[in-house]
Amino acid sequence: MITGGATIAQEAYDASLIPKNLLPYASAVVRNSEETVEVKALDNVVTTVKKAITVLNKNGNDLAHIAIWHNKNISIKSVKGVVYDAYGKKISKFSEKDFADVSAANNFSLFEDSRIEHYIPSVTDYPYTIAYEYETRSKQSLDFQDWRPNRYNNMAIEKSSFTFICKPDFNIRYKESNLPEKSVIANAGSTKTYTWHLDNVKAVKEEPYSPNPYSYTSSVKIAPEKFSYEGINGSFTNWRDLGKWEYDNLLVNRDQLPEQTVAYVKMLTKDITDPKEKARKIYGYMQQKTHYISVQVGIGGFQPFKAAEVDKLSYGDCKALVNYTQALLKVANIDSYYCIVEAGGNKVSMLDDFASMDQGNHVILCLPFKNDTTWLECTNQKIPFGFLGDFTDDRVVLACTPNGGILLHTPKYSTQTNIQSRKANFLITEAGVLSGEMETVFKGVQYNNRESLINSSETEQIKELNNVYPINNLDIEKFNFKQDKSIQPATTEYLKLTARDYASNNANKIYFLINAANRNTRIPKEIRNRQTDFYINEGYTDEDNITYTIPKGYHLEKIPLNVNITNPFGSYVAKMELRDDKLSYNRKLQLVDGTYGKDSYQNFVDFYEKVVNADNYSVTLVKN
Amino acid sequence: MRRLLLAGLCSLAVLFAAKAQDTAQNKQVHINTEMTHYPGDPSAHAFMIGEYGSASVQYTGDGGIRMYYYYRTSIKILDEEGFKFGTVEIPIYGAETIFALSGSTNYKDNNGKWVREKLTGDKIFRVQENKYQSTIKFAMPSLKPGCEIEYTYTITSPYFDSFHSWRFETDLPKVHSEFQSRIPVFLTYNISIRGALNPTKSVSSVLPKYFPLGDKRYDCRFTGVSMDNIPAFVREDYMTAPKNFTSALYFDLAEFINPNTDGVHKVADQWSDIDKRLKNDDYFADQLKPRSYLKDRIAAAIAGKTTDLDKARAVYVYLQKNMKWNEAPATGSADIRKALDKHVGSAGDINLALVAALKAAGVNADAVLISTRDHGVLNKVYPVITDFNYVIAKADIGDKTYLLDATDPQLGFGMLPLRCLNDQGRVFSLDKPSYWIDINPSQNENTTYTLNLTLQDNGKLKGTFTNYFKGYAAYSMRKVIKKFNTVDEYVENLDQVLTHVKIIKSNISNLDSLNLPLSETYEVEIDGLENSNDNRFAFSPYLFNKITTNPFKLADRIYPVDWGMPSETKYILQVQLPEKYTVENPPEDIAVSLPDEGGNFVTRYIPGEKSFTFSHVMSLKKSVYKSEEYASLKELYNKIILAEKTEMVFRKKI
Repeated sequence: MITGGATIAQEAYDASLIPKNLLPYASAVVRNSEETVEVKALDNVVTTVKKAITVLNKNGNDLAHIAIWHNKNISIKSVKGVVYDAYGKKISKFSEKDFADVSAANNFSLFEDSRIEHYIPSVTDYPYTIAYEYETRSKQSLDFQDWRPNRYNNMAIEKSSFTFICKPDFNIRYKESNLPEKSVIANAGSTKTYTWHLDNVKAVKEEPYSPNPYSYTSSVKIAPEKFSYEGINGSFTNWRDLGKWEYDNLLVNRDQLPEQTVAYVKMLTKDITDPKEKARKIYGYMQQKTHYISVQVGIGGFQPFKAAEVDKLSYGDCKALVNYTQALLKVANIDSYYCIVEAGGNKVSMLDDFASMDQGNHVILCLPFKNDTTWLECTNQKIPFGFLGDFTDDRVVLACTPNGGILLHTPKYSTQTNIQSRKANFLITEAGVLSGEMETVFKGVQYNNRESLINSSETEQIKELNNVYPINNLDIEKFNFKQDKSIQPATTEYLKLTARDYASNNANKIYFLINAANRNTRIPKEIRNRQTDFYINEGYTDEDNITYTIPKGYHLEKIPLNVNITNPFGSYVAKMELRDDKLSYNRKLQLVDGTYGKDSYQNFVDFYEKVVNADNYSVTLVKN
Repeated sequence: MRRLLLAGLCSLAVLFAAKAQDTAQNKQVHINTEMTHYPGDPSAHAFMIGEYGSASVQYTGDGGIRMYYYYRTSIKILDEEGFKFGTVEIPIYGAETIFALSGSTNYKDNNGKWVREKLTGDKIFRVQENKYQSTIKFAMPSLKPGCEIEYTYTITSPYFDSFHSWRFETDLPKVHSEFQSRIPVFLTYNISIRGALNPTKSVSSVLPKYFPLGDKRYDCRFTGVSMDNIPAFVREDYMTAPKNFTSALYFDLAEFINPNTDGVHKVADQWSDIDKRLKNDDYFADQLKPRSYLKDRIAAAIAGKTTDLDKARAVYVYLQKNMKWNEAPATGSADIRKALDKHVGSAGDINLALVAALKAAGVNADAVLISTRDHGVLNKVYPVITDFNYVIAKADIGDKTYLLDATDPQLGFGMLPLRCLNDQGRVFSLDKPSYWIDINPSQNENTTYTLNLTLQDNGKLKGTFTNYFKGYAAYSMRKVIKKFNTVDEYVENLDQVLTHVKIIKSNISNLDSLNLPLSETYEVEIDGLENSNDNRFAFSPYLFNKITTNPFKLADRIYPVDWGMPSETKYILQVQLPEKYTVENPPEDIAVSLPDEGGNFVTRYIPGEKSFTFSHVMSLKKSVYKSEEYASLKELYNKIILAEKTEMVFRKKI
């Protein structure tokens, strides 16, 4: 270890030395990873990364991709690396000049001042090993990146470690999850060192319906007590203090509005007494005045543009638009909270036992009316007042108030609220033509199901409806949408349609699918030896009630469909009945959100298999 | 499609041109303040009221000349969906610069009064995308439904050989679009207009002594083209580059006379000029020489190979294995040797290296310049070197010609990736005049699924699936399998996806023999049959790639459907039945054909003694279907879907 380290290290990258038990499902294996963060001063944090990754096949190339984020606060000090062949023999080396430097702006941002230097090794023979190290320097000590050694699927780990070094008086809080061993803390005179390890971890493959990866992969989160950020000092040990710091340093006094706007808001609300109705009016004004455009400059994307600037430009990002709405509401003496949230289709909450700066990616507004807390999404011009949808529902958020941070929970839309309810009256002719009317109501998070369609042009709408409904030769004669934009909003879709060849007629028998509009065709794939819990993020209820008028003089050939299944995670009912020439079909599918044991996943697959079979039930009518 | 604009259309034009001088910059944009929809296109979220551009050459004062591209537009935004047209991105290449960028939004304020909000400099961003390209980005302020935005800028460029083309037809409908150019006679451009739309006005004339340079004044050639009431371009599925269909004005540099020396520099006049240039080009001809280091590198690969075909195949595989494509299309290479050392390169690096290595192996090979599908179809009227964006190799072995592209490690010898299957390419032999060659797919996309099953007394089906993939089907399937770390993981996944099917044994052959068809064989057991119901159960043989929805939804189609290659999919089901079972509903035979021998769909049911065979063949014989053939193609799919919907019902005799 001490002498001749260099030559030993090279041979160590022989791919055949990887323990055999690490190979299943692995596209790449981390041979060794050492990540170190050293806080030299509040405005001088040095991060060193040393990694050696063996790529086993071309699917592992992305795992060997090096991407180093930098901007005016984070600079890259050094970077170099070596590529080894299958036997651990050096084939080439690389340095910073081989990296490409590109803008880090994502496709929804107009501008961001961050950039990425990245490098992809160009090796065509597998396996190969890339060993590299780089150092970056950051001028802030508020926000430390989490250590997440096994966050990627299809990657095994031989050895990995994380070291955090600071002065003895630099206090930190940390949260370790799913690690076999706790941190080792060493005090050596002028420094204090925390070390974590994760070794010999097998690769896992992607598993559908798995929960938030933080719940089952290893991580260490670190938060400082005292910090410096863009020249502003501060300290916190809990959400109250952090929220207070954000309010005092990033938000306060950014709410001045031009006089005309103040006057206009007063005029708008002068005849309204109910504060909630005032807020609704102001929200409507904000929605028609502004739209979302993301520009991330200045204080790292933590501080909103001033309200006056949004007033002038009529655009802003989530922070700017929330701050602007807050300012408009203040004119009408309505209090509101600037709330930081981790938005996205998956529900992720702020950790109630661990305050840190990096837990949110979006901002919404909370109106704390007595017994009637109301939430506003400010980046969407069409969303109803008080409705959040599945982007920010049912999760813990941080409200930054003058009195400090408070954790609040956004509204949950339940299985019973998230409804798609359909009624249809169809006629089926002997020639196989389906025709009739169909009305569908969408509520809860399903309210949004037709949102993009509603905002499209008529030709796009017809094209899109053809994609939505699995009815071939669908000819839409008439359609319209109505939206009830109350706090419990609803979208109603009406269609008048015909479809030739919906049924096929063959030797005095007519065949057609009983479930015309809402068929599940895919069964979730089976997972042997599932590792993660089975998780349903959002519950919902779909109801389909269709009455078919069939040609006279026919009877059913097969036993009518009658399925009724109940499970903790969901239920399904599908039945049909023929009376004279009226064939009725009633279907109800419910999924209940929640985390279920990994063993229930097979039950879920079996459940869906029955659902798919029943959804694809084919009616056979025989001439009497 | 492409026609030349003849200089000096008529004498009247000269009159118009004289008047038209500088009108582009002075014209006031007409604003119709109260419009709520665009009569020309009720589905439009915004439309261009007017768009003006001009190109002129100007003296920079430092002895050089630059091309100045002036641009000005005015857009009416009708609703929130149209706000996206208020976010603007302007690409800037290399040494180009932008100046005089300004803009403003006219909107009605809270009191219903029209006010103007200016775009300010601090809200204009420049993003350096990479070494060669940056983007100017800005969002117009104060957007509201009904507002009007205007912006203008000028780009100066030192690149006379890559003139900015003018796109009349874009994703926004336009009331008026107009472009004017004033080019001194010492620069000659071939000017052409492509696309289906006709100009409202098209003028060409000479402006005498218009351009001062030093103590001389040069005549300028004036060209002005405008179009009115231009519809928005709407993309369709399965089509090639929009550029092939949209109306635009193109300028290609043909000749340049140095005004200082009067020396004539022919840029491109005839193919022979281009041939001559490429012959002396360090990035092209020089890279194609079969140098001795190449012979050394391929020596091991071709050792023991006696025929040219075997040698060519070995060289091709050597490049596929040793080079990683960096996704860049290119027609040349700075240094193939460096690229070979780095194991990474552009299409130019890889395929010029392929040509040179083939030559080094004694195989008769040439480079073929092409334009990829997303780059558009090549112009055949006159030579334009910049129309090409990619190079492939051509090997002549015996009486056969092979077109090769070594950028993709999963391609068999003689196959081209879909991006290269685009009309024609030009062969540059260096020692012979260049010539056009058709680029046709050398293979089709053929798949056969054979299900050989025996129905057991207990209602289970046992037997084998044999899936056979040829040509482009094998290529796609190899990509699917290679997404998994091992073949076992692929089979395990398939087993999990096919819920009713238990795979007992599997065998995949020729996974890495790219020139042979790929085959999969599975020994299977099928149970839990759908809708099992007392004494009968239903079975669908379409376990793989069942088509459930028609890829063609719209009633009409404007542009051709372009698949790239013909295809054929076959299902063959052979079932042995025990005594106790019969097939209750033998499917009726179907035969549908496309007009003009374009393809067909045929099913046949052949009963046997205690067995039956059912076959289902869908064959699309053309690569490209014209819009007139769209209806029958759509109907063919309709018939296939209907057929795949019907299930076979096995009934137990009682």
